[in-house]
Parts: sequence; structure tokens; C-alpha cells
Amino acid sequence: MFYRLSGVRHSSYVSDRRMFQVPADRNAVIILLMIGLAAPFLIPSLYLNSYVLPWLIWTAAVLGLNLVTGWAGQLHLGYAAVMAVGAYSAVHAARFGIPWEFALLIGGLSSSVIGSLFAFTALRVKGLYLALTTLAMQFVMDWVLTHSPTITGGSHASLQSPPFALLGQEITSDAGLYYVALGWCILVTIFMLNLKRTGLGRAWVAVREKDFAAAILGVNSFYYKLVAFAASSFIAGVTGAILVATFYFLAAPEQFAVNVSIQVLAMVIIGGLGSIIGSYMGAALILLMPGVVNQVFSAFAGLIGLELSIETLAHIPNAAYGALIVIFLMVEPLGLGKLYANIRDYLMIWPFDQLKK
Amino acid sequence: MKLTTYSRNLAAAAVVGITSLTPAFAAEGTIKFGLCYDLSKAYTFITPQVAQAAQDLATLVNSKGGIGGHDIEVIVRDHGNEPQRGIECYEQLKREGVVVFDMLSTPVSIAVLPRVMKDKNILIQSLVGRGDAVDGSVFTQIFPVGPTYLGQAANDIAYIKEQFGGDMAGKKIGFAYLDYAFGQEPIHLLETLAEKEGFELALYPVPLPGSDQASVWTKIRRDKPDYVMAWLLAGGHVVAAKEMKRNGFPIDKYLSVNWLNEVDIANIGAEAAIGIKRGTNVAGGQDLPIIQKIIAEVYGNGKGAGPEEKIYDVYYNTGVGIYSAAFEAARLAVEQSGYPVTPESMKAGYESISGFDANGLFAPLTVTAADHGGGGKTRVEMWDGKTWVPQQEWTAAYSDLIWELVRESSSKFATE
Repeated sequence: MFYRLSGVRHSSYVSDRRMFQVPADRNAVIILLMIGLAAPFLIPSLYLNSYVLPWLIWTAAVLGLNLVTGWAGQLHLGYAAVMAVGAYSAVHAARFGIPWEFALLIGGLSSSVIGSLFAFTALRVKGLYLALTTLAMQFVMDWVLTHSPTITGGSHASLQSPPFALLGQEITSDAGLYYVALGWCILVTIFMLNLKRTGLGRAWVAVREKDFAAAILGVNSFYYKLVAFAASSFIAGVTGAILVATFYFLAAPEQFAVNVSIQVLAMVIIGGLGSIIGSYMGAALILLMPGVVNQVFSAFAGLIGLELSIETLAHIPNAAYGALIVIFLMVEPLGLGKLYANIRDYLMIWPFDQLKK
Repeated sequence: MKLTTYSRNLAAAAVVGITSLTPAFAAEGTIKFGLCYDLSKAYTFITPQVAQAAQDLATLVNSKGGIGGHDIEVIVRDHGNEPQRGIECYEQLKREGVVVFDMLSTPVSIAVLPRVMKDKNILIQSLVGRGDAVDGSVFTQIFPVGPTYLGQAANDIAYIKEQFGGDMAGKKIGFAYLDYAFGQEPIHLLETLAEKEGFELALYPVPLPGSDQASVWTKIRRDKPDYVMAWLLAGGHVVAAKEMKRNGFPIDKYLSVNWLNEVDIANIGAEAAIGIKRGTNVAGGQDLPIIQKIIAEVYGNGKGAGPEEKIYDVYYNTGVGIYSAAFEAARLAVEQSGYPVTPESMKAGYESISGFDANGLFAPLTVTAADHGGGGKTRVEMWDGKTWVPQQEWTAAYSDLIWELVRESSSKFATE
């Protein structure tokens, strides 16, 4: 009824390989895209720049981590470190006078190199051991950043990024910065959407499911793992650079510390491993929920005239937010993306689902 | 005449004088201060006390008629020490008409710095953030009133020098520090001073979060430094005290950065902590006119912003210190350019603070367009088992050297 078809049935390979199997999905994406493009005219600047913009950038980051963790199945706990490499190299490049287009590319490539360098050592081990190795990478990076003033900009450790510019055009307006973030997020999303239709994406899925089974099928799992790390690190690097250039305006080590790595991983897990729409939802939940819950609670406390101390007011939302994560994962362990998929699958054939059973 | 009178007076008392001159017209608008604090994560050892102090001081000033007839409104929000949420808080309060902000967190202060500079608002940044922000010629909108960590370290060295009768040749000073930006900041200065004064500097990096110091203090036992300066936070001092006991290092040779308070003392044990020293920019204890006034007039009338026991904490004094300077700046702003307080008038207000000491709460403070730190005077106080006893006069030592380092660092901030 909502989707005007009763299930997805293919009669040709072309239809099987289509990006959008259901026309309604494609239409939804188009509508969302239009809303995204019109957002600067629809959404007040406060929400645009302190909620939507960071959300889009973090979504791009989550998609990058989802690539290596969700698609290729390699647990990665040092993602923020890779973002830091990209951010710092891009900002240094831009400060050196290199145009931002190339600075972003330099950021991405240097991240890619360092990310895969660590992957080389990390890929000899699997699972939890890999998680710990990548975590070690995070700590190495933290240490490097706090001990090298030349990278981080002196003992006060904040390196200002030059004004962002693309194609010789300086971008400083709220809307301009928003479009940069939106553009990058769309680019990464398109890449990820196409991934599952390519041999590369299928090879990663094979490696994720069982790497030696993949090897028997002729998939060189070491090579594909390495490519996964390199590709995800590239996305991380550019995202880190864009985060600094359009949102923080300066780079500081705390912005890429270990807790950020954990946060991004939490976004991936809550969103759903290997789910694109889940990445959007996970980033929104982890990033925006604390602030929203905080406001809801303050408003609620004000409404019923509850006299709470500022500390209590700060802690209750944290507890509520934690509970929310637990509830979501209890309802659907595969994440928000799966939750959405369940609803969609149910509505797909509703109200004729009895016929199928 | 007027200014010198004020300098001897309390911020609040001075406000009474002003309001009695301008007959009480009903306050139409308020003067807003936006406190985006970390009330739930890393800075919770200090934020509740400072927030409460700001609110109590505002209550006190408002009960005397506010600033030029306008009430002070202190808005406190939580940002959980996350740069993203700090920016969110800043952007939100900015749209609610707040022009004076305080983040009280280094990562968040750093994160909002470019925005504050661009929007030309005012950021109170006492004791956190970039230390070189005292350079008002570069950081025009940032007011880190109080000492920098460089200033504190230099003053500590000056105090130790005093203890040795003015000659530090051949002495050994240990520097135990948390091994990240906060702890590393004074190292370069200390190395320069060691060369200048002829003492030997021994560095003892403590890995984060500071709960494991066993190897550090074994090393200190071996090296036998004459003094140990400790750039540790809160619980780190408690661990250090335990290790000092174990290694037989006398606690009265332990000189802490300002982040040591009654809670830590209680954890060490009030008796065991006798003799421990801390550098400070505000007087400790409650025997101060402004604190007494808050106890009598705010808590006496049941209008305190939180539990009364929080007053008995030196971080409360720190908060009163930060905000009596801020309210004094607002008062001068209203006096000079009238209501409403704009970033420009607030900046001018801050920069015309001269010789203000909140009636003995801190060293006379003179903020200028070049020096946003207000002189950076500190003194060393000692815990005597009950309260903090000052060990010296307010001093600001090696100022030239510090300014040289500050300017060197601040000059790198600009992107061009």
C-alpha cells in the first residue's frame, strides 16, 4: 500500500543489481536530498550549524568506519587517530599555502598511508586482538600529538585552520559551510551505496563472514583487508580535515582522543553494522541525543516546577541517554538501521502480508 | 578618587554605591553571563563550586540592586567536556543575547575560541585554555583573568628561592606533571629558569590519569630533590601523598599547582596533609569579607544556589574570584557606556579594571588592553590542618621572561 508493490522479485540480473530495488526508496532519497539542499532556508542557523552540520560530518566518519568494521568485518578502535592524521596534515598543508582542495586530498592520502601502515601490523591478528592493536594505534597517536609541538601548534596545542576555500572561493557563511559538509557526506554515501554492487564490496563481505572461506573462493583476504583499511582511512582523513575546516576551525588533540574513537564505534554499532541509513541514525543518536535529552529534561523540570541542582540536571540526561542506547539495542541488537528495515519490510507488503504466509 | 575607593571596596559594596546614586528604576533587562560548564565528566571536581559561587555572588549583587539597576543572570548549562556540545551551548546562548561566556574546560575553551574571536564576544577563560591568551593584543576577546600556568610556575620558583635565602645554586627541584598539555606547559620555562638560577631541574612525567605514580616517587626518593612542584589534578595529589609517605618524602616540600582543594585534603587526611603547599591566585579559607558576606546575606536568607558546605572549599573562592572580576568589569561597562552591556563595552570594562582586589580575595588586579591576565600574581599557601595559611605576599616573578614566552607562542596563533 505504501510502496505500491508486494515484495521485491527479480526477473533479470539488471533489476537485481539496481541501486534502489524499490521505487519508493529512490523517491524518499530524492525528497531527503531536496530537503538537505533546501535546509539553509528551512532550518534556523543555530540548528543548521550546531546540529545538522556536525551530524553530516560525523555521518561521513561513521560511514568510513562502517566500511572497515561493517563491511570488511575488521574491528577498529583507533578511528579518531586516523581522523587526526588527516586533519593535521590538511591544516598544515593549508597553512603552508596549498589550496584546500589539495589539502583535503593530502589529508586523506596521509591518513590512508598511516592507516594502512598500522593495518599491516594489525592484520596479522584478528577479532579482539585486532581491536587492541588498533587501540594501541590510538594511544600512539595521542602520545605523538601531545609530545610534538610542531604538529599540534605549541604547548597550548591548538592549531588554527586557515579560512576554508574551494575553487578560489572563500567559504565562511553558515550555508556555505553546511553545503561543504553535505557535499562530502553525499559523496561518501554514494560511494557506500555503490559498494554493495561491486566485486570489491562483495569480496569484503566474504572476508567479513569467514576470511579463510573467502580465501578458498579465491579472495585474497589480506589484500582486501588492507584495501578496506586504506579506503576507510582515506574517508576518515578527509572527514577529519573537513570537521576542522568547517566546524571546529582549529585542531586540538582532544578532538581526536580515544573517547572520540569509542564514540564513532558506538555510532556504528547502534546504527547497525553495514547499514548506510543506520550510520545516519547512529550518528544522530550518539551526537545529538545528549543535548536534546538535556533540553527535554530541563524543560520538563521547569514545567513541573522541580527544583533540581545543576549537577543533578546534568547527570539525569546522561543516565536517560545511556538507558536509551540499551533499550534500542535490546529491541533490535542489529541497530537502528535494522529497526528501520524491519518497519520498511513490514510495510512493504502490508496489508497483504497474510497472503504470503 | 572613585576608582581607588572601589579598589578598596567589595564588588558588591561598590555596586550599592552606584545604585544609591542612580535611584532604583525597575530592572528591565538583565545582564547575562553564559556558563557552559562540564558538570558531568572531567571537570566535575571544580565546576559545581565555581557555578555555585557565580550564582551566589550574582544573588548578592542583585540583592543590592544589581548592576546599574539591572539584575545579573547567570545561565548554567552542561557540555560534558565535549567540544561539539560546548559549541552548541555557545551558539545557543549567543542567540539568547549572552555576550559573556565561560567554558571552564580547556578543550571546550579551545574549541569555541575561533568562534568567539570571529563573533567578537567575550570569553572568560580563567585557569583553562591557551595560557598565551593573556596577550590581549592577539586574543582581543579572551579574558583569562588570573595567573597563567607559566606565571604560577615562575612564582613557585621565586617562593622556593626565597626559602633558600635567595640562592638556588646546586639545589634540585623536581617537577612532577601529568604528561599532557596541561603538565607540559611550564617545562620550557622551568628549564630556562634552571639555567638562570643555577638549580637542577628533574622532570617526573606522570602518565594520565595520574593514579599510578609508584615509579615516579621511587625515582624521586633516589634523586632526593629539595622541592617537588606538582602539576597534578585533584585525585593525583592524593596518590602523590600516599607515595610521599611510602617513600619518606616530606609533604611540606610538596608545592602543588592551584588544583588542590579541601576535598583532596580530606582524602589525604587533614592531619596527614599538614604542611602541604599550593600556589594560588585567590586567598583560601572563609575569613574573607566577601565570603562572610555571602554566608550571612545569601545563605543566611536561604537563597544559596546549592548546599552550604560547598562554600568551605577553595574552589568556591576561585569561583568568587573569577566572577567578582567579571561583575566588576560589567559594572564598569555599565558605568562607562550604559545598558545594555555589549561585547565592546564589556571589553572596555575589563580593560579598565585597575587595582581591584575584591577586598582581599585576590592580589590587586589591573587588566589592560595588552595584559588580559591582570598581572598574574599568586602566592603560596600552606595547609595547617584547618585552613590555608599564606606563606608570602602576592608576587609576580620573572614577568619579562613569561611575557617573552607568551608572545612567542601567541604570535604563532594567527594563521597569516
